[in-house]
Amino acid sequence: MFPSIRTWLRQTKTAQADRSPWLRARQHLWAMAALFGLTWPLAAQARIEFGVSAASADATIGCMFPLAGRAAIYGRDSIAGMKLALADLAAEVKVGQVPRLRILVEDDRSKASVATRIAEQFIERDKVRFLCGVVSSGVAQAVSRVSRTRQVIMVGTDHASSRLTIEDFHRHYFRVSNDTWTSMAAGARFLAAAQKKDGWRRLAFIGPDYDYGHVAWRDLEQALAVLNVTHEVTAHLWPRLYEPDYTAYIARLKAAKPDIIVTALWGGDFIAFLKQALAAGLLEKSRLANFDTGGNYDVLASLGEQPPAGLILSARHHNNWPATARNRKFVNDFHRLEGRFPTYAAEGAYAGIIAIGRALATAGHHADNEKLIRVLEGMHLSLPEDPDGTVSHIDPETHQIVQAQAIGEVVADTAFAPARLMLGRWTVYRAEELQPPLDLVRSRRAKAGATDSIPGVRRPPRSTL
Amino acid sequence: MTNLLAILFDGAIYASWLFLVAAGLTIIYGVMRVLNMAHGSFYAIGAYSAASLVGWYFSGQTGNPYWSYLLLLGSALVAGTLVGVAIERGLLRFLHGKDEILMVIVTYALLLILEDVTKLVWGVDPYFANQPYRLLGQTEVGAVLRFATYDLALIVVTVAIGLTAWFVLNRTNKGRLLRAVIHDREIAVAMGVNVDAMFTVTFAIGSVLGALAGALTAPAISVTPGIGVEVIVLAFAVVVVGGLGSIGGAAAGAVLVGLARSVAVHMAPEMELFVIYGVMFLVLAFRPQGLFGQTLVRRI
Repeated sequence: MFPSIRTWLRQTKTAQADRSPWLRARQHLWAMAALFGLTWPLAAQARIEFGVSAASADATIGCMFPLAGRAAIYGRDSIAGMKLALADLAAEVKVGQVPRLRILVEDDRSKASVATRIAEQFIERDKVRFLCGVVSSGVAQAVSRVSRTRQVIMVGTDHASSRLTIEDFHRHYFRVSNDTWTSMAAGARFLAAAQKKDGWRRLAFIGPDYDYGHVAWRDLEQALAVLNVTHEVTAHLWPRLYEPDYTAYIARLKAAKPDIIVTALWGGDFIAFLKQALAAGLLEKSRLANFDTGGNYDVLASLGEQPPAGLILSARHHNNWPATARNRKFVNDFHRLEGRFPTYAAEGAYAGIIAIGRALATAGHHADNEKLIRVLEGMHLSLPEDPDGTVSHIDPETHQIVQAQAIGEVVADTAFAPARLMLGRWTVYRAEELQPPLDLVRSRRAKAGATDSIPGVRRPPRSTL
Repeated sequence: MTNLLAILFDGAIYASWLFLVAAGLTIIYGVMRVLNMAHGSFYAIGAYSAASLVGWYFSGQTGNPYWSYLLLLGSALVAGTLVGVAIERGLLRFLHGKDEILMVIVTYALLLILEDVTKLVWGVDPYFANQPYRLLGQTEVGAVLRFATYDLALIVVTVAIGLTAWFVLNRTNKGRLLRAVIHDREIAVAMGVNVDAMFTVTFAIGSVLGALAGALTAPAISVTPGIGVEVIVLAFAVVVVGGLGSIGGAAAGAVLVGLARSVAVHMAPEMELFVIYGVMFLVLAFRPQGLFGQTLVRRI
């Protein structure tokens, strides 16, 4: 077959030499058209668009998620979550007030440079009124800078570094999923209670070697300090992102003899670490806690059938907690749409669209940014992860959503196949317990030389929560 | 003493993984002078094939679980051979003798294409196949250290692969022919060696080794899109340290990088990444051709 192709190419070359420049130009044009035709479906796939058309939209929202590579599953789940949010908005908001939303999603490839370019294009070309999404904290910082410079509201849905809402805070940035402070504050309370019970003292930390990991560690240390939990740090380790071999780290952790190991590894990295830690017997003498991402559905699905002892996990959303009608509806709707159960990314993106939709419904479909910011600050939202009798709200001081968090242990549960283990035996922390103290927020901002802080205390009194 | 033992074993485990990943890359470069960027894709395809086959095997809940190790090896052999032969015969053989930079660009394009092909075939959901990893349990070393036996077995498998490669290259007729091609392609052709066939076989061996690295790693990780791209940088670091095209060099590079990384994790965890590339910098500063690389005479 191949020699004949070569012969054909040779013949084509000879024939071309005999043709007029016009004929050759026409041939090139045909070739380019054919190439364009072949690659068009791929180019079209690079952008996903849903909601209403551009002509009839009250607002266009430009979202950036990884749609390829390791984190692609979070991007895919986020898109499904946003579709569910559009449907729920239409059902929940008063007729006539439902904003007509057009949502654009592009693949940020988990790269800051790519996400920045996409964000600029969204603003320039598509005239988006909101930026949203982003899984990686590092990428989110870059997009947040675009949001600050271009004064376009950004609603973060799935990155967690508390730096974005504390040191790098600016008025146009909001986040509607738990941040590292929230998760670590819940974790610190859990650890404080555990210390009273069993007197643990030695703590080790292992987290990914980029902003998210380091901020999570700092948040945990500060949250433990706020609660006066005395402890000795026996190791803190920083494997690179996407490390396949944790043997050396596991040996180092064993040598450090911690009572409790806290990790901020996430996704495939946490799964790989957990598999290797279990096989090497790390959990026989130490407990392992992951307060921010460890209870994600993809992790639980990877654990097999036998619940490992000594695991303490949580996540930014759970499929089986709270056992409320709203959460059940969200999880079941997602399953109907996608044929599988969601990771927490789906609920974050869902919350983002709900927040934007409600802000537009309240402020007016064509309200300016200032009005929208005022509505978003302090906004109360009923979301799938709110236990009965509580609602999430956005802290005006940090623009971070404030929600209850549950930490659980691994138990057998076959209701969410293919996972055979889920979290259970919950310890629940109320939302108001998990906010960073105002003086801490301000001292961190002052230390970082932050310039864009909000004057005065604007948090609602705790009794209203 | 315990710490030293831990450093040595951790270093050996990581070095064996590095050698597995880098061996195919260096063999292909040594024989074909192709710096194969698509090697990471062979790793990914091996990992996906193994994870899906092992997952299927254990979902049946029948049969001896130890057969899963044969599935790991078999899947790498089949997937690596098929992909390697297809790429060499269908693409690279039209580019033999072309500039090395062009080959880097072509194989990089191939890496991107195969990355998408793996997504089309296996989707973006993670694959898990940890049964073979846990099946072997743990092994005590020196009464104080315990390692997953699978990791220790990886050292044995890697040594076996390294020795086999050395034996084939140095003690068999085919190996001698291969070395003749490495030494001087034109003379080899003049002496009647079928260089085209040699290239196909070499590329297939390289891709099988890449796939094998992926298949043997799959039980210890979550197999997700992008894993191939992540290993290629490390594989290059090892191959460059050892000297491009040298199996012995790849082994030495893997041991050096593996031990340096292990020392860093135990003594100065913040320095881990720096140490890996620091070793590369130091070697290249004093021996630009790598530890075992030969200085090439440039003909003008």
